[in-house]
Amino acid sequence: MAYGLGLLKGMGVAFRNLVRGPITVQYPDERLALPQRARWAVIPLWDGSGATRCTACTNCVRACPDGILDLRVTTREDKTKHIDAFDYEIGACMMCGLCVEACPFDAIAMGQDYELATSDVERMTVSLLSDVDAASARREKPASEAVAPAPGDAPAGEA
Amino acid sequence: MSDPGRDIVGALAALALMLTNGVVLIYMLRKVLGRFHLRLGPMRVGWRGLLQTPMDVVKLLTKEDFEPAMTDKWVFRLAPLVVFVPSFAAYLPLAFSPTLRFAGLETGALFILTALAIIPVGVLMAGWASNSKWSLLGGMRATAQQIAYEVPLLLALVGPVMLAGSLDMTEIVLSQQGAWLGVLPRWYVIPQFGAFVLFFIAALAELNQTPFDMSVAESELVEGFANEYSGMKFAFFFLAEFSNSFIIAALMVTLFFGGWLVPFVDPGLTAPIAPVVFLVKVYLVIFVLMWIRATLPRIRIDQLLAFGWKGMIPFGLLWILSTGLVMKLAEVTG
Repeated sequence: MAYGLGLLKGMGVAFRNLVRGPITVQYPDERLALPQRARWAVIPLWDGSGATRCTACTNCVRACPDGILDLRVTTREDKTKHIDAFDYEIGACMMCGLCVEACPFDAIAMGQDYELATSDVERMTVSLLSDVDAASARREKPASEAVAPAPGDAPAGEA
Repeated sequence: MSDPGRDIVGALAALALMLTNGVVLIYMLRKVLGRFHLRLGPMRVGWRGLLQTPMDVVKLLTKEDFEPAMTDKWVFRLAPLVVFVPSFAAYLPLAFSPTLRFAGLETGALFILTALAIIPVGVLMAGWASNSKWSLLGGMRATAQQIAYEVPLLLALVGPVMLAGSLDMTEIVLSQQGAWLGVLPRWYVIPQFGAFVLFFIAALAELNQTPFDMSVAESELVEGFANEYSGMKFAFFFLAEFSNSFIIAALMVTLFFGGWLVPFVDPGLTAPIAPVVFLVKVYLVIFVLMWIRATLPRIRIDQLLAFGWKGMIPFGLLWILSTGLVMKLAEVTG
């Protein structure tokens, strides 16, 4: 009895799509808003005063599966570090985000610039940072994050 | 009707209609398929992409006429014409109004199917001469399919022709005037619904339309028989394909939907716009074909052939038999 009804049902679905109207946009003229979690290439982040958060720990360089991050550092006698160059070979990046995962200081993030195509081979490598002093690696815990010791934390026999 | 000047003008008009129709249908196909796919279709060239197809024509015309090295040269060159010319010839009996037609043919409906029957030969020639596995497979499939489905197409034609008592396209339309019981238009789609379904399915196969597009089968055979063709030779195949949709749709409108007749309106009133009514109906049928194309997947070639030989043809014969019986009974009982 129901033989062939599936065909008609499918035709109905197609017709609903027809009257629904296009969902695509004319890309270079119109753009859709990016989802908040969209991510493309790596960008550097700065703290409130505009100084880099990078401590030149090189965790990101070691985390990168493609080996495309190049962090050149000079360590001064007082153990502070100076970043000579932090180069990022964007043309070889697969946007996996492992460098961002590895960064303990939130110094880099995945950006939202997706129009990365270029005809210039020089633009395949971008400089994230160059010739800046690295941030101090000492972390000051904000007061709001201080946690009162839980009762169970006290050594046995003292309470 | 044997005035040579009139015949030449008629042939040129048919050619003009065929070429214009090709351009219009390609644009329509891209727009309609786009909408079905939630896309916009061509938008860039001209207002809403209107100039896209004319520009494509210019591109095809100016393209290098390339032939692969190992082809069978003359068969390769002849094949597009063997496909194109019958498709052009099939325009001649079409009747756009009681008076407007390219050439008066008393066997018009049969002539159209006869002309379309030559097309598989050209398709097989193209597939064979291309010296490519995909082309040959596409050509073989197209031939097997079109030969198998020409029979039900012809059988579906018989029912309305029996009712109309004529093969002339004008006569068939004129016999559909009036209404039954004052409400149903006397279109043959109602008494001949079985023949209509048969005709519709066979037409899809004849046009290599989804779900019967194995000869082109883009995902398997790239472009089937037309694989090795480029430039204007490819354009001939392409144009023939779109002109065939027009012909089959026009035949369907003539046989089952009363040609240029508007239901419940006196034919004398609509006479000035009869060709427009006819074209609107034809394009509606073509729209339904595109709708199917946007929806249904392709079936397998063995399923297609089994369905054609074991299902469609016996059903067509039974339908003719029952039509004849009913007509005879009506005659006997008065």
